[in-house]
Amino acid sequence: MGVPAFFRWLSRKYASIIVHCLEEKAKECNGVRVPVDTSKPNPNEVEFDNLYLDMNGIIHPCTHPEDKAAPKNEDEMMVAIFEYIDRLYNIVRPRKVLYMAIDGVAPRAKMNQQRSRRFRASKEGVELTEEKSRIREEVLQRGGYLPPDEVKERFDSNCITPGTEFMENLAKCLRYYVAERQNNDPGWKNITVILSDASVPGEGEHKIMDYIRRQRAQPNHDPNTHHCLCGADADLIMLGLATHEPNFTIIREEFKPNKPRPCGLCGQVGHEIKDCQGIAREKQGEHDQFADSLPCSEQEFIFIRIAVLREYLERELTMASLPFPFDIERSVDDWVFMCFFVGNDFLPHLPSLEIREGAIDRLVGIYKDVVHKTGGYLTESGFVNLERVELIMQAVGVAEDNIFKKRKEDDASFKRRMKEKKKRMKADKPAFLPSGQFAPQALGRRGGPQPVDNPRHAAFNMRMHGRDQQNMTPTGSRDASDGGPSPSGGVKRKAQDSDSEPEPEDNIRLWEEGWKQRYYKNKFDVDASDEKFRRKVVKSYVEGLCWVLRYYYQGCASWKWYFPFHYAPFASDFKDIKGMFTEFELGTKPFKPLEQLMSVFPAASGNFLPVSWQKLMTDPNSSIIDFYPDDFAIDLNGKKYAWQGVALLPFVDERRLRAALEEVYPDLSPDEIKRNSLGSDLLFIGKHHPLCDFIRELYRVNSTESVDIPPELCHGIKGALDLDENAILPDKIVKSPVPMLKDITHNSVISIKFKDPQFQEGFVFKAVLLPGAKLPPKVLKPGDWERSGRGSWRPQLGFNPHRQQVHLDQSAFRALGHNMSRDRQRDGVYSSAPPPGAYNQGRGGQLPPSLPYSRQQQGSLLGPSPGYNQQYPRSYGNVSSSGWNQMQSHGSAYQQSQQRGPGGGNYHQRYEERRDHRGRQGDNSGRKYPLPPTSGRYTWN
Amino acid sequence: MSFQNCAYLVQKFQSISKSEKQWKFWREFILRNLSEFQNTNIDHLLSLSIVWANHVFLGCHYSQDLMEKVKEMAEDIEVEDAPVFKTQDEIMKQRS
Repeated sequence: MGVPAFFRWLSRKYASIIVHCLEEKAKECNGVRVPVDTSKPNPNEVEFDNLYLDMNGIIHPCTHPEDKAAPKNEDEMMVAIFEYIDRLYNIVRPRKVLYMAIDGVAPRAKMNQQRSRRFRASKEGVELTEEKSRIREEVLQRGGYLPPDEVKERFDSNCITPGTEFMENLAKCLRYYVAERQNNDPGWKNITVILSDASVPGEGEHKIMDYIRRQRAQPNHDPNTHHCLCGADADLIMLGLATHEPNFTIIREEFKPNKPRPCGLCGQVGHEIKDCQGIAREKQGEHDQFADSLPCSEQEFIFIRIAVLREYLERELTMASLPFPFDIERSVDDWVFMCFFVGNDFLPHLPSLEIREGAIDRLVGIYKDVVHKTGGYLTESGFVNLERVELIMQAVGVAEDNIFKKRKEDDASFKRRMKEKKKRMKADKPAFLPSGQFAPQALGRRGGPQPVDNPRHAAFNMRMHGRDQQNMTPTGSRDASDGGPSPSGGVKRKAQDSDSEPEPEDNIRLWEEGWKQRYYKNKFDVDASDEKFRRKVVKSYVEGLCWVLRYYYQGCASWKWYFPFHYAPFASDFKDIKGMFTEFELGTKPFKPLEQLMSVFPAASGNFLPVSWQKLMTDPNSSIIDFYPDDFAIDLNGKKYAWQGVALLPFVDERRLRAALEEVYPDLSPDEIKRNSLGSDLLFIGKHHPLCDFIRELYRVNSTESVDIPPELCHGIKGALDLDENAILPDKIVKSPVPMLKDITHNSVISIKFKDPQFQEGFVFKAVLLPGAKLPPKVLKPGDWERSGRGSWRPQLGFNPHRQQVHLDQSAFRALGHNMSRDRQRDGVYSSAPPPGAYNQGRGGQLPPSLPYSRQQQGSLLGPSPGYNQQYPRSYGNVSSSGWNQMQSHGSAYQQSQQRGPGGGNYHQRYEERRDHRGRQGDNSGRKYPLPPTSGRYTWN
Repeated sequence: MSFQNCAYLVQKFQSISKSEKQWKFWREFILRNLSEFQNTNIDHLLSLSIVWANHVFLGCHYSQDLMEKVKEMAEDIEVEDAPVFKTQDEIMKQRS
């Protein structure tokens, strides 16, 4: 779902769904890089069975990264993709299946979005190049310095579309990559790899869903398979919920806003192209050793636990005293369905529902209100009950008027606040600075802070001072130290007035009477009285909702259907929708790859197509020239930036496209014919896999029919195998498609065509938990925890509910005491403060530890200080990511926790025991090292 | 191709997303130029008509030659209160 706001909203509201990934880094020994052994237990304290990669989420950042220099050529891109997959593989460490899916030809419903993205990308690319050369000229004229413009072709990201040479090459490289890893990497030894490249129709994530759905529906599937899906799109969360698998996790890059981007001209960070001055680069570090490192760390990954989201939803959606039995599985499906109203890739969202305005909460509220009346759920296994949906829509419709009015008010008050903030920021000093003894002091100054004297009086003085100030200069900044109005105040105020940005004009004015008429007039160019047309739009939208839900739960119902308008109707227009949808046309077929290229590319990207096909995009006499405008209108639709607006592109007429292509089909070269044909999924396994001999045998007897996988040989996976004429075969050299990588001379990997299990037409995949599925233990704090009197709640931070809390043992204390000499302690302002985070024992002021400990310190540590109790768990929570305990938390934490078994992580229990233990030790006054206990970690159990 | 036949075709080609008003002008465009395209591919005329409609009702721009050609073909068709559009180029220019 192209709704970035959705993920932000979700992760804020349901914060516990996110778990930060632990990533074991490759070590270096005498300059030799030692790769990570991924056959070892997963450091995240969880074992995944299957890893699914939505490859397009990997290809895009690897081929045209936003935060670093772009790769120089295609080979470098491929290597970047390999490294990215390696990284993911190292974090997730799947044990059964790795499924890689590249976007193939998409359903027609998606094509309009693809088309608008590609038309825009191509335009923006041209604009960027123009701007670059213009500013380059200017900077050079002013005598600035810029690194010479490398003569390289601009990478047209539009080539990441099925049917291009780039995609074919990518598939080839990935086949090599899989074979290479399966031959050489111990973590890949027993894994089954399935590669679904761009020649197989369907969007990547939906091919993955189809695989999962079909495996679930066959009897050999393990209902407790732990799935991990990689991708950043918010709709993966919906898809994860839609599978009804109890163990489903999504992995994605952590979203960090405002990451610095290097300037496109000089490559330096901190300004945009238009502000480039061409100043010489500053040295980074003493010897310029940090020249290539950006001032931000490597992108990190996070897990999103669908199981926890289900827990949250269960809490939120549970309804008491329903006229029918409550079923959380069905409610989750309804929730997914309602999220489609707010945004999805296939339909424009309803004008009254904005995710930022709490649209989903509003919908959930309405849902819980209305569901009593509806007598049942809105959806079942991907089929919509329109009568019930109408009730929801009508309830939204009632509120529509107020939503628009409130939006206007919020907008106005937001603008006012921003203006005030800008005003504040413009002044070079903050509005208030404490003075006197509370005045801020520069770090590292000698002497350090003085004890506070008579704080009440000082605070009173400051307050009075501030009040006088305010009376003198009601606006703008004031200088706290001298009290006089800022000398440059007049100048500043003038600057403020001039920077009000031009408002995009809005002639819909949804907050004013008559908004519906204006909307239809402006957006659809029809009169408000045109009821027939309005019904047409609503009907299409209703069909769309049915199509989208079916797509998520059953697969693509129609490759042909699409929403033929640029805008959505209002919620209040959904009247009498019951009969608006019956069934989709059966037996529709996806486009061929080159046909899809013709329907999503602008003429400017025509170089990816055969010459005579290109001509159809540019020749004024072409019978489909209307598909390819040079320029198109953007309707900002109340938004600020062009990329947020709606691109008003004409829709493609399938009949005319096919008719026009018929004439140029004979011009295809054999290579292009191959690229234009349907491919199939490929399955790869190494020689240690039990299925290997079976497949070798198939190749030996040269079997011509497809053969089913014996499920017992392959973790219960079902599917049909077909011989592949270009297969990777044992003892055959695998040529490297990338010059900087070596050929595989001793190959033992085998590949074969794979086909998902097939079901009869009309088969319905049930959206239920499978029998035998065990739900993972609950993570959220039970609502009645306080009443149960079980002590204070300790939140679960990772996958493992019994995570080992890391601590220092005796030898570590000795090492610390040895390394942190006492001489350094008195330096600097912070010498008397404990080190941050991990190590709160140092509260006594003598620490970092000076051993041996004195008796008093020990006493204070063990004493019933109230702060101690609170700080301890917090500090341990951080421990795994902070310095000193790194070695423990990475490699051994998992094993330890296994040895310890359940209960080992319960801090409170152990804390009590420890106190006893120390109490006994305390009697032994002769000991020099009473802390920590010699017994070490294992006795605390 | 008889006139009636073509009128029928035009009816059939009516795409779902067109409003009554747009459809009226568009049909006028086709019927006006139908005679010129009697013996050629009817799709070509259809395409030109949509180029024109896209320009007037959707704000699309095409190459110079093409624009002149369709404007010529649409001479005398008076479109009352045609919508006004901003192209991406114009938005970008406004911004810089």
